[in-house]
Amino acid sequence: MPADETAAGLPMGSQPATPPPAAPEPAPVKYERLLLRHRDIPDLHRLEVYRQHGGYQAFKQVVTTLTPKQVIDEVRASGLRGRGGAGFPTGVKWSFLTKDSYPRYLVANSDESEPGTFKDREILERNPHQFLEGVMIAAYAAEAHLAYNYMRGEFWDIALRLDAVLDELRQAGLLGQNLFGTSYSLDIHNHLGAGAYICGEESALLESLEGKLGQPRLKPPFPADKGLYQKPTVVNNTETLTNVPMIMARGAAWYKTIGTEKSPGPKIFCLSGHVKRPGNYELPLGTTFRHLIYDLGGGVPSGKPVKAILTAGASSTVLASSDELLDTPMDYESVAARGGALGSASIIVLDESVDLAWLTLKTSRFFKHESCGKCTPCREGTYWMLNILERVNKGNADKADVDLLQTVALQIQGKCLCPLGEFSVTPVLSGLQKFRADFDGHTRDGKGAPAKPSAARPAGTAARPAARKAEPTPAGD
Amino acid sequence: MADNVTLTIDGARVTVPKGTLIVDAAKRLGNDIPVFCYHPKLQPVGMCRMCLVEVGRVQRDRASGQVIVDENGQPRVVMAPKLETACTTPVEEGMVVIGASGRVKEARDDILEFLLTSHPLDCPVCDKGGECPLQNLTIAHGPGQSRFIFEEKFRLAKQLPLGELIYLDRERCIQCARCIRFQNDIVDDRVLSFYERGRHLEIITCSEPGFDSKFSGNTTDICPVGALTTTDFRFEARPWEMNMAASICPHCPVGCNLTLNTRREARSGGQMVIKRVMPRQNEQVNEIWVCDKGRFGHHYASSSDRLTRPLVRRDGKLLEAAWEEALELAAGQLKAAGAGLAGLAGGRLSNEDLYNFRQVVTGLGGSAALNTRMGGAEQTQQVGVGLGTNFAEMGPGTAILVVASDLEEEAPIWWLRVKQAAERGATLIVANGRPTKTDRAARYVIRYAYGQEVATVLGMLVTGSSEAAEALARAENSVILFGREGLDFAGSTALAQACANLLIATNHYGRPNNGLVGVWPDANTQGAWDMGLPARGQAVLPVGATASWIVAADPVGDGEISAEALRAAGFVVVQELFLTPTAQAADVVLPAASWVEREGTFTNGERRVQRFYPAITMKGRPDFQIAAEIGARAGLSVSSHAAQIMLAIAENVPAYAGLTYQKLTEVVKQWPEVGGRDLYYGGASYTNRQGLGVQVPSAAERGADITAGKLAAPPPPARNGLTLVPVTVLYDRSTTFVRSQVMHPYVPRPYVELNTADAARLDIQDGDTVTVEAAGVRVTLTARVDGRAPEGVALMPADLGPAVPAVAGPATIQKG
Amino acid sequence: MFVEFVRGLATTFKQIFEEPVTAPYPEVKRPVAARFKGRHELKRYDNGLEKCIGCALCAAACPADAIFVEAAENTDAVRFSPGERYASTYEINMLRCIFCGYCADACPTEAIVLESNYELSFTNRDSSIYTKDMLIVPVLPGGEPTPQKAPPGKFGRAIPDMKDPE
Repeated sequence: MPADETAAGLPMGSQPATPPPAAPEPAPVKYERLLLRHRDIPDLHRLEVYRQHGGYQAFKQVVTTLTPKQVIDEVRASGLRGRGGAGFPTGVKWSFLTKDSYPRYLVANSDESEPGTFKDREILERNPHQFLEGVMIAAYAAEAHLAYNYMRGEFWDIALRLDAVLDELRQAGLLGQNLFGTSYSLDIHNHLGAGAYICGEESALLESLEGKLGQPRLKPPFPADKGLYQKPTVVNNTETLTNVPMIMARGAAWYKTIGTEKSPGPKIFCLSGHVKRPGNYELPLGTTFRHLIYDLGGGVPSGKPVKAILTAGASSTVLASSDELLDTPMDYESVAARGGALGSASIIVLDESVDLAWLTLKTSRFFKHESCGKCTPCREGTYWMLNILERVNKGNADKADVDLLQTVALQIQGKCLCPLGEFSVTPVLSGLQKFRADFDGHTRDGKGAPAKPSAARPAGTAARPAARKAEPTPAGD
Repeated sequence: MADNVTLTIDGARVTVPKGTLIVDAAKRLGNDIPVFCYHPKLQPVGMCRMCLVEVGRVQRDRASGQVIVDENGQPRVVMAPKLETACTTPVEEGMVVIGASGRVKEARDDILEFLLTSHPLDCPVCDKGGECPLQNLTIAHGPGQSRFIFEEKFRLAKQLPLGELIYLDRERCIQCARCIRFQNDIVDDRVLSFYERGRHLEIITCSEPGFDSKFSGNTTDICPVGALTTTDFRFEARPWEMNMAASICPHCPVGCNLTLNTRREARSGGQMVIKRVMPRQNEQVNEIWVCDKGRFGHHYASSSDRLTRPLVRRDGKLLEAAWEEALELAAGQLKAAGAGLAGLAGGRLSNEDLYNFRQVVTGLGGSAALNTRMGGAEQTQQVGVGLGTNFAEMGPGTAILVVASDLEEEAPIWWLRVKQAAERGATLIVANGRPTKTDRAARYVIRYAYGQEVATVLGMLVTGSSEAAEALARAENSVILFGREGLDFAGSTALAQACANLLIATNHYGRPNNGLVGVWPDANTQGAWDMGLPARGQAVLPVGATASWIVAADPVGDGEISAEALRAAGFVVVQELFLTPTAQAADVVLPAASWVEREGTFTNGERRVQRFYPAITMKGRPDFQIAAEIGARAGLSVSSHAAQIMLAIAENVPAYAGLTYQKLTEVVKQWPEVGGRDLYYGGASYTNRQGLGVQVPSAAERGADITAGKLAAPPPPARNGLTLVPVTVLYDRSTTFVRSQVMHPYVPRPYVELNTADAARLDIQDGDTVTVEAAGVRVTLTARVDGRAPEGVALMPADLGPAVPAVAGPATIQKG
Repeated sequence: MFVEFVRGLATTFKQIFEEPVTAPYPEVKRPVAARFKGRHELKRYDNGLEKCIGCALCAAACPADAIFVEAAENTDAVRFSPGERYASTYEINMLRCIFCGYCADACPTEAIVLESNYELSFTNRDSSIYTKDMLIVPVLPGGEPTPQKAPPGKFGRAIPDMKDPE
C-alpha cells in the first residue's frame, strides 16, 4: 500500500495507478540527478535513448573486463547501502554468498509496498533500463545466470511494459547466452506477486516467488546461503540496483563524494502528507528535513507547524517535530540518532491537525490486514491493537485501555519472526510516547486532553494537495 | 568428541551432539522449554514464539576466530539483545541459555495471552481437554486472567469436517502448522494447507475427497490444541476417564505399538469398550505414528455379531451349545481322525495360539499348516534383517529394494519409514509391475512385466547389469522388502529365494540394517512360520484329510475351497470370531477371543516379538486356551497360560531361545521423549512403558551356514490377452476391517483397473460396469480406466467383495 | 438441698410450655437451610434447554466416584443443550455420594446443583443410581422439552454466555 493510506486518507484498497506527478520544483537542480535521470533526459525509457546516454556500457565493461569479485569490491568500496529500508551495505551482502554453491540467483525486490513509498515505481516506469542494467551487473557479480524482478501484483501494467523491454534486450543481445562473446549468460524474468505487503520481506518474497504462500522464512539461513530454491540468492531493492550502473561507470571514489561519509550516494525521498508539493525528490543522503519539506516541498499548505514526521511509511517511528529534527540530515545514522530509522525514506509530514490516535488506528489496521499470520505475536497482537484503537477512536475506552494498548505493543515487540510485527508497534509506541494526550483525549476518563473526542478524519485533509485521478484499482487485496 | 557440544542451560551443563536444537538439549536435562509449533519429528519453523529464551554466545575475535577470554580466564559470553527461539537455534560450544529469567517468563506469559485471545476456551466440551498442551502450558506459564474482551474474540467455523475421519475447529486452531507440516514433510500427502492470512489464517483441505491421507489420525495426536479431533472419538470420553492397555496392531506385518483407551459404555450395556486407539512410542517400529487402519480398524473386536457361545451342528443346523459339550465333541472327533487331521491356522493368531495349535494337531498325529498365499519365511528366517535393524537409522550408504509390493497399501508405516530413509539419502529402488506411491521417493524404478519378478531380481545378481543393481551391491547396508503382488505361493517363495541369494551374494545379511523383510499379508505370518506351521501352498487340505480344524482362517470365504468340498473331507471344527462362510460349514464352531481381550505376542516382519495385553472383557476364549482344552480332552498336556506357552516356545524354537514375557516388557528410555507430562512436546501418543519387544536372531546370526539357494528364473509366462493381477488395498472388506463403520467411506466399491489402451480396445469407459471372468470365477464390478495399470494387465484389489482368483492369471473382461 | 431440687424440677416443668422440636414427619417437613446440600438436580435454561454440556468435570471432581457421564453431539435438529455437546448418560450413585458439593463447584455451566431434597431411600443398590431423567428438573412454563429443534446456528457456541454467580 503506498502513501495514500495514511497520508492522504484514501480508503484502503484504492491506490492511484500512477505515482503523483513530480511537482514543479522552484529552485534549479543543485546537482546532477542519477536515479531520476529521466526527468532530465526525455524518453530515457527507450533503449536507443538510454544507449545514447551511455547505457549498458558499464554492463559490457563489467562482463568483458572485470571478475565478479572485482565488481563486488567496487560496490563495497562505494559504500552503497540497501535502499529498501535496512540500509545494509550492498557489497558486503553480495560477498556473503555461500562459496562454491551453484546455481545462484539474483532477485530484485520491486514489491514496493510500504505506505508512502513510491520511488521504485517511478524508476520502473520511467527509467527501467538503468534499473535492469543494475540487475545485470549485480547478477554478474553474484555469478547468477538467472535473475527475477519480483513486483507487487498491482504493478501489472508495469510488468507488461517491462516484459516488452526484456524482449527488446534479448533481441539487442544484452540478455541471453554468451553475452559480448564471453561465457557469461543471463536472463531476467518478471514475476508478479499477489499484493501482499509481507512479500516485500525478502524471505517471504522468495517463498512467493517459489509459488508458495507468502510467509517469511526463518533466518538463518539467510538468502545468501539458502535463498530461492534453497540456493544462494541476492535480494536487492530496485533503487539499490539502479545505483549500481553509475558506480561501475564512474567509480566508487566518485560515488563516495555524494552524500555523507557513512551514507554515501543519492537517495530518492518520497515526500507526502501535509506538504504543498509531494512527490519523489532525489537528493544526496544527508540533506536536512527542512530543505526537503520547506524548500522543495513548499511547506505545509495550512501554514500550521509540522507536528510529526514519519520517515519510513507506516512502519516508522513517529518523530515529533522540532527545530532540531528539521535540521537533522536525512541519512541512516542521523535519523537513527533521533530514535527513528530512515527506512525507505518515505517522508510523511503531519501538521498540527493530525490526531495520532487516528493515525495509529490507520497503521494498525494496515498491519493487521497485512500480517501473514505465521507467528503468534504479530497475528494476534495486531488484531488486538486494532480492537483497542477502534474502541479508543470511537470513544468507548478508558485511559486503562490506552495503557493496555501500550502493554500489548510492548508484548509484540522483540518477539516476532520477521520485521513486520516489529514494525507494527513502532508508530503505536512512539505515538504513545510523544503524543499520549491524543489518545487520552478520546477516552471517557481522559479529561482535559486537547484532541477532539472523536475524529473520523482530522481536519485539513480536504485541503491536501495533489488531487489525484482515481483510476480503477487493477489488483488489490 | 569433536561432534559434541557442551553448553549451559539454566546453570546446568549438558553435552549434546552438534546440531542439536536448544529445546532438545534442554529436554535432555529435563528442562521443559514450552513449545507449540515445534515437534521433535518435524522441521522447526519458529512460528509460535513460545520457546523464546535468552541466549548467550562465546565471543570470538573477528580476525583470528579465537575465543575471547575474560580476566578470570573464562570465555567471554555475550547475551543476545533479543530473545531467541530455542526450537530453531542450534547449540554452540560454550553457549549459555537462560529460560528461567523474568524476561523469558514474561515472554511466555505474553505469547500465551496472545494465543488465548482468539481461543474459544471451550475446554469443558473439547476432546483434547485434559491432554491439551495449550491447557498445560497456560497453567504452567500463562497469565492468570485475560485482558482481552470476550466479545471481541474472533469467530470462526467450528465442527468442520475436514474429511470423513477428522473434524476441524478453526477457533481452537493456533496456526502452528504441525498438521500441514506432518502431511507435507512426513507422509508426503499434501492435502492440508493454509488459506488467507493474518488473523484469518485457517487450515483447509485441498484434496478431493477431503483430507485424503492414510495417516490423517496422527495429526490429531500432534495437534497441540483441540482443533483436530477424530470422528471416531468425538465426545466419546474425557482422556482422564479412560483406562489404557498396551497392544500391537493386528492389521499388517509392521506391528505398530498401540495403546488402547477403554471405558465402560452405557450403550453397550456397561461393558468395557475400546474408545480409541493411540500410538505407543517404539522408535524401532512405528516411532510415534500409526496409520488410519490401525487407529480406526479395531471395531471388529466390539462388533455385535461376534460369536460368544459355541455352536454345534444338530440336524444340519448350527445351534448354541455349552463349552463342555462342544469341546468334548471336537476333541473326540479330532482325536479319532488321527493322521487324517488337517489343521489350518491364519496369520492373525498370536505365537502362543499357533504354537499350542501345532502342538495339539501334531500331538494327535495330524498336520498343521498356515493358511497363506505368500511364501518366503524360510528365507527371512535365514537372512532376515539383522538384530538392531531400524529404518530410522538408514540414510546415506543404505540401499533399500522394494519388490513386488505396494508398500503404502500393504504396510503403511514401513512405507513411511522407507520414504524417510530415502529422503535422508538412502538409495531406494522400487521394482514392480506398475507404478506405486513408493516410486515417488525412489532413486531407481524398475518396471517389469508381471511374471518377471524373480527374473528381475536374479538379473540384479549379474554384476554391472544396472545402476540399481550396482547401488544395491555396493551399498554399505542393503535391505530388501519383498511382497507378493502378482505372485502365487510358489512365485513368492522363489522371489524370496532370489532376494536372499542377492543379499548373500553381496554380503548384506546377518548385520543390523541388512537383510530380508517379508511384506506379509498378516500381522503374524512370520511368527506362524517360526512356530513351525508351514504353508501348504495352494491346497487348503492335504490329500486324505478326514477331519479339519480351522482357526482364524476363512478358506471358504476366500474362495480357496468350497463349503461342500470342506465338509466332504470329514468333521470340521472352526475357531473364529465371526460366523464366516467357513464357520457356517463347520460341525463345531468355537468362539475365539479377539486380540484385545487376551494376552499374546506377534512377531512382526522384522522378526520383533512384541507383546499385547488384554484391554476389554473377554468374549469367547483365547485360541491357545481352546487348543489346550481340546488337547487336554484328547489326552495331551499343553499349557493354557500365555506366559508358560512362551517359555515352551523359548525352549523349542531355537530363534526364540531365552524369550520370556518379562523380557518382552523391558523398555529403555527413548528419544524423543513423548507422552506423559511431556505431552506438549511430542503430541498425545503414549510413552512406552509396556515393552519394546525383542527381535529374534536370524539363522545367519545364530551361526548357521548360509548358502544361496538353487533357483532358476522361471520361464516368462505366456501372455495372451489380459492378465488379471490381484493387488492389495489397505482399506478392504476383510473380516477384521469391514466392521469398522467409520472407515466405510474409504473402502472402495469393487473395481478392476484397466490400461487406457486395453479399455479402448474393449470399448470400456471409466466407471462402466464390466464382467471379469478368470479361473472359472465370474464377477461383475466397476471398471477404472486411469492408465495406472500396465498394458495387458487388469489390476483387481483382493478383499473388496467378490472373490478374485488368488493368483495372477489370464482373464477375460467384457462390458456389462 | 431442697432449693436445688425445686430449681431442677422447674427446669423440667418449664419444658411443658415450650414448643416441641420434633415434627410429625412426613406430614410436616421442616425447611432446610439455604446452603443445605441435598439431592442433586440438573438445571435447565428458561427455554427448556439443558444446562449440562456433558463435560464430566463433575465426575472428575467427585471424590467418591459417584458420577458417570457420557456425552454425545447435539445437532440443530436434535438439540438438548447449547453448543456441541450434551450428556447422553448422566448417573449419580447416591450410595456413593457424600454430598460434598464439589460437582456443583466444578460445573462450568451451573447445571448441577445440590438442592434441598433429602428424601433418598432405596431398597436395593440398583435403585440408588439416579439417572438423568430422575435428576433433571421439569421444563419451566414457556420452555420446551428436550430434545428441541433449534434454528441453525442459534446455539452454536459451546459455552453459552452466563452471568457470574452472585
